[in-house]
Amino acid sequence: MISLLSTIDVAFKALAPQRADWASILPEICVAGLALFCLIQAMVLPKSLRWLIPSTARTGIVLVLVMCLVSGTAWNPHEGTLTTFAGLLQISDVTVGFRATFLLCAFLTSLLATPFLEERKATITDYHHVLLVITAAFMLLAQSNHFVTLFVSLETAAVGLYILVGYLRLSGASLEAGVKYLVAGGLSSAFLLMGMVLVYGSLGAPGVDSLNFDQVASAIHAGKTTALTMTGIALILGGIAFKLGSFPFHAWIPDVYQGAPTPTTALLATASKAAGAFTLFLLVTGPFQPLDFRIAPLLAGLAVITLLVGNLGALASTDIKRTLALSGVSHAGFILAAITGILVSGQNGDYDRHLLSIYLLAYTVGTYLTAQALVFLPVAEDHRRPLLGLKGLLRRSPILTSALGFGISSLAGVPPSVGFFAKLLILILLAQAKLWWVFGVALLSVAISIHYYFAILREAVIRPSQESQEVQPISVPLSAQFIIGALIVITLLGGLLF
Amino acid sequence: MENTTLAHHLLLAGLLFVIGLTGVLVRRNLLVVYMCLELMLTAATLALVAFSRFNQTMDGAVFVFFIITVAAAEVAVGLALIVALFRQQKTVQSNELNTLCD
Repeated sequence: MISLLSTIDVAFKALAPQRADWASILPEICVAGLALFCLIQAMVLPKSLRWLIPSTARTGIVLVLVMCLVSGTAWNPHEGTLTTFAGLLQISDVTVGFRATFLLCAFLTSLLATPFLEERKATITDYHHVLLVITAAFMLLAQSNHFVTLFVSLETAAVGLYILVGYLRLSGASLEAGVKYLVAGGLSSAFLLMGMVLVYGSLGAPGVDSLNFDQVASAIHAGKTTALTMTGIALILGGIAFKLGSFPFHAWIPDVYQGAPTPTTALLATASKAAGAFTLFLLVTGPFQPLDFRIAPLLAGLAVITLLVGNLGALASTDIKRTLALSGVSHAGFILAAITGILVSGQNGDYDRHLLSIYLLAYTVGTYLTAQALVFLPVAEDHRRPLLGLKGLLRRSPILTSALGFGISSLAGVPPSVGFFAKLLILILLAQAKLWWVFGVALLSVAISIHYYFAILREAVIRPSQESQEVQPISVPLSAQFIIGALIVITLLGGLLF
Repeated sequence: MENTTLAHHLLLAGLLFVIGLTGVLVRRNLLVVYMCLELMLTAATLALVAFSRFNQTMDGAVFVFFIITVAAAEVAVGLALIVALFRQQKTVQSNELNTLCD
């Protein structure tokens, strides 16, 4: 009997590195469970109690966020990483920041979506269900260590986002944006998949799982790369560039951001972009690390073109959502520049490892502050928001004007907002990495962006409204005022505490 | 079968991929565009199976199941969106979709 037990023990110890560590993905399980719980509530609760559903979702997200941060602070960065589920997932101190970003995005999107959908008489439960599924998928994506995990979680999130973009079934604009996003997204996932297949095939050998990031890295390190591998890597980077919204796959961005319901636009601008950024970071510092001398110049070039394309496009735009969409393209350029800097300088600095999380958190706060102002601004159609519609906003609603003001200042990078310090950290990194031409273009693009960002503010603050009808004050619910206040405090404190 | 090599399979997969890509870029009917997207995914799957067979690793063959599942979910949502769009706009021609502009 004892010998049997010891045999089992030995067998378990042999299996130990392969064992699935379910506790390590507890946050994802909780978020997915929360998604199902939303549907159960919709079945069980009477109509008068349906308002509980978004509140439960938000409470749950906050609890999971706390769980993530508590377990994350217990994480010792010198301990390295935890690879689990037979090498499918890899968890480290960096991925804790990634998870927190996605949870924050989900929380803020839920806050935006609830009043927005109520006003348009659309169902709130389904939106929250899909939102939570997307969040869980993104959280897994940020920890993937295997092409199967990467593809499946990326596609789960993408399919959910198609639904949320085309969510307003009675609005032609929302559906048109949904279909455009569907075609663009389908194209990018085909590129991504083909790239993965070529990398898998060209590096494969009997007994080597060349879908695993570590094994891809060691195969590339051993010099097994062929032209087929390079084609595959290029296709993968192209597929990720779509998610990130960077050149050359940024053409879908203005149309989709304009047509999508505003809460979804905010989600696309933040969580989806963050997913692209984190995936790119994982890939170029993980499996493709041995090729960084080739990838870094490529990313630097893409960063420069993306910065210029986004900023020049935003200059020409007269619709608020399109302007913000194209400014998001230039933020993608900043993210690319940051990743290039990290690759070139070799992750030495204290901030470097968390630079992406810091930048994206700052960008998220700025975007959601701006989106709060847009959601409560009464318009006939969600996809028509000309700059002129902001006229006299200061007199109609000081709170929305301050949300817009602080949000846009943070996006533009005006000190002492948190956005300024995020941009400053990237510029310092670029200077340390001696990437002077990227540094120069980044500075230039900040200067250009001030122009169009403050064109929005100028309409809201300076231009007086002529018609008396427009002076009607806008009523903003107390909860939204509280959130706007909290986000403004984060913007300022984040900037001052750095 | 003895004469078919990895190169044959890859050539076919590459050809299908390019046909799909051309269709996506050239055609205007959304349904046809969507079919071409699926063709691109299938081309990738074919290459995956071929690599899996010739490299003698099972991982690629297992990946195929995930791809098919994901593609099915994507089609369900995609067709629903296209049908809803057709009910709204009475068209599935991509050049007639011009609600969204500056």
